[in-house]
Amino acid sequence: MQLRRIARSVFTVIGLVAGLLSPAMAQSVTLKIWMHEHPPRIAIDRAIVSEFEKANPDIKIQYDVLGAAEYSTKLLTAFASGSGPDVFNQTASLLAAYYSSRILAPVDYAALGYADEKDMLSKYTGGFAGIRFQGKLYGLPTEVSNYACYTNNAYWREVGLDPVKDFPKTWEEMPAIAEKLTKRDANGVPRRRGFDFNWPSAGAYWLTINSLMHQRGGNLIDEESYTATFNNPAGQRMMQFFVDLVNKHKLGGPQYTDSRTDFLGGNVATDCSFGIWGIPQMKDAKIDYTVRPLPRFADAASDNGFDAYGYYMMVNSRSPSATQKAAWKFVRYYTDQGARLFKGAGLYVPRPEVAALATDADSKIFFDELAKAKFSPRVVGYAQVVDLLMRGRDRMMQGGEPVASVLPGLEDDVNAVLKRERARAEAMRK
Amino acid sequence: MPAAPRRGWVATWFSGPRRHQWWGLAFVLPVVVFFAVFSVFPVLFGFAISLTDYSLLDPPEFVGLDNYRNLLGDKLFITALGNTLLFVLGATVPVWAMSLTSAVLFDQAFRGKLWLKTIFFLPVLPPIVVVGVVWRMLLHPNGVMTAFVGLFNGATEVPWLASTVLAPLAMVAVHDWSVVPFFMMIWLAGLAGVSPELREAARIDGATAWRVFWHIDLPALRATAVFVAALSSINAFQTFALQYVMTADPGGPANSTLVLGLLVLKYGFQYFRMGDAAAVSVVMFVMILSVTAVQLRFNRRG
Repeated sequence: MQLRRIARSVFTVIGLVAGLLSPAMAQSVTLKIWMHEHPPRIAIDRAIVSEFEKANPDIKIQYDVLGAAEYSTKLLTAFASGSGPDVFNQTASLLAAYYSSRILAPVDYAALGYADEKDMLSKYTGGFAGIRFQGKLYGLPTEVSNYACYTNNAYWREVGLDPVKDFPKTWEEMPAIAEKLTKRDANGVPRRRGFDFNWPSAGAYWLTINSLMHQRGGNLIDEESYTATFNNPAGQRMMQFFVDLVNKHKLGGPQYTDSRTDFLGGNVATDCSFGIWGIPQMKDAKIDYTVRPLPRFADAASDNGFDAYGYYMMVNSRSPSATQKAAWKFVRYYTDQGARLFKGAGLYVPRPEVAALATDADSKIFFDELAKAKFSPRVVGYAQVVDLLMRGRDRMMQGGEPVASVLPGLEDDVNAVLKRERARAEAMRK
Repeated sequence: MPAAPRRGWVATWFSGPRRHQWWGLAFVLPVVVFFAVFSVFPVLFGFAISLTDYSLLDPPEFVGLDNYRNLLGDKLFITALGNTLLFVLGATVPVWAMSLTSAVLFDQAFRGKLWLKTIFFLPVLPPIVVVGVVWRMLLHPNGVMTAFVGLFNGATEVPWLASTVLAPLAMVAVHDWSVVPFFMMIWLAGLAGVSPELREAARIDGATAWRVFWHIDLPALRATAVFVAALSSINAFQTFALQYVMTADPGGPANSTLVLGLLVLKYGFQYFRMGDAAAVSVVMFVMILSVTAVQLRFNRRG
């Protein structure tokens, strides 16, 4: 009898405690957030996460930064195993595959605290082209950027060139100026390159060829029809220009360390693969620099510099509904911190109050160029396409095959990949 | 008479007439389970994936033998297969010849043999990735090897790893440099098993050193030769690390060093075509199995 009474009391207490705890537990949400590594941004991220948690005690955040090189692979593997993050960022060129696989949750304006899309867009100056699919938005920009050219002023002045006045306005002027800046040994081998493109980086190569095709009045790939269109006079002239820089003028090439690394290391006098985020890196490397717009072809059909690219913060559509709402709340909080991200990490969230901070001449060049920039096409199978384009480039530059003999087959190969990947993507979305 | 207590089935198995077999099975079971989980299952799972279209983001879709059929017309696969076969050729026949020659030399008695053998064996010690990193530096277009060649022809830049012709040759040369001493040790072990009396008898009968090698040593090394051939072929077919580490762009320039191992990585974790990656793996598996089977059969016939 006594025992039964004790047992009843114990169960009553357990029931009461469970009853009191369960609503609190039900409301508590833990968000798993993954971001790619950009060292200047990490401390800011951690501060933002901490502030958000304080302001929202019911939301806990598990924030992880993954190395940029393996970020895409880890992200896809995590989604494949069902352990993907609730909130993540990724660059626009890779998003078509995520969209096709229905991983991206459509923007939840109410959870973000906006009345609707129009209300949200009114707070931005642009930058949503990279995250809009079939008319719908799937994330918010945390960085919209473009490349411009940086000169190492010491090297330019050393050969009597003024980095502002003498910087080439056209690509046709570039070889002669780059040659002046190039230091060669007795055999003509460049010991310091005057100018080189960033050949080894897939992302930089993608932006470069797309931007120069736009200047030529063409499109490398038509995003709507999923068709490669570079085996034409515009594509041939662009590719011949690249090949001549390497094989005729011998100014550089894919065999050298990437131009971005070599510019910071003092082995390249002019590089065009840094964004506005490169400024802190110039200061760290103690380089006296000048920012200049990308040259245009003399008979350019389009007055554009580099294509824009964007990193977007997105929400996993497979996360539970309550988690998604909390995730969008965080996305809003994060993207409202544009000024901090710009000042501390050089990342441009395209909002008027952030744009107002960029008053110096260097920033003005980036923003002027950004206003003229297009987004490079976003296609499923991007990794295969860019790999094919790079290997085709190597055949011309390092294998010595003529442009005219490589481009037709290369275009066919790219089209075959696009056709296959599009068919797969469409089948998956059905 | 009281009934005898019933014995459990475990006790019956382990004390019956076949008790030794059951005990044996019990002892090997952990290894069998380990092998099944970590070797057999991945092979079967890999084969199952090769019958699907799987991009990681979407669930696998069964496509039968389509991935295998597609490989026949896949330019990248054909390039990688050709590169692999050329690499296997360069990483086997010269390796057999060089390692056997050096083994025969080190089988002779001469001053400082031990020191020289130790130095000769050093390339085997570092992991292949370290070998690749070191040689990538040595083969820098303006690096040590270029400076050495420059002594003869005045060159200040040689695109060892950036030329579609030189890069595949560089892979073979570095591979052979790193494995010849290992196979030399195997040949030496084989040579140690050759009867000294037979050699001595042949010499007394007036046989030259070459005839002794050809008629006595070489026939006695048949089993060693099959082992060297099988091991070096498997090793060469599976090549991956050198091509991945040494070239600025794995498999480059222009896919000239793209081998099947790298293609699996490319298809799987760059293109996210897991089905195609698994199909290439299965093809590699079958190729290695066939070559090894032929070599073992050759040994049995002998």
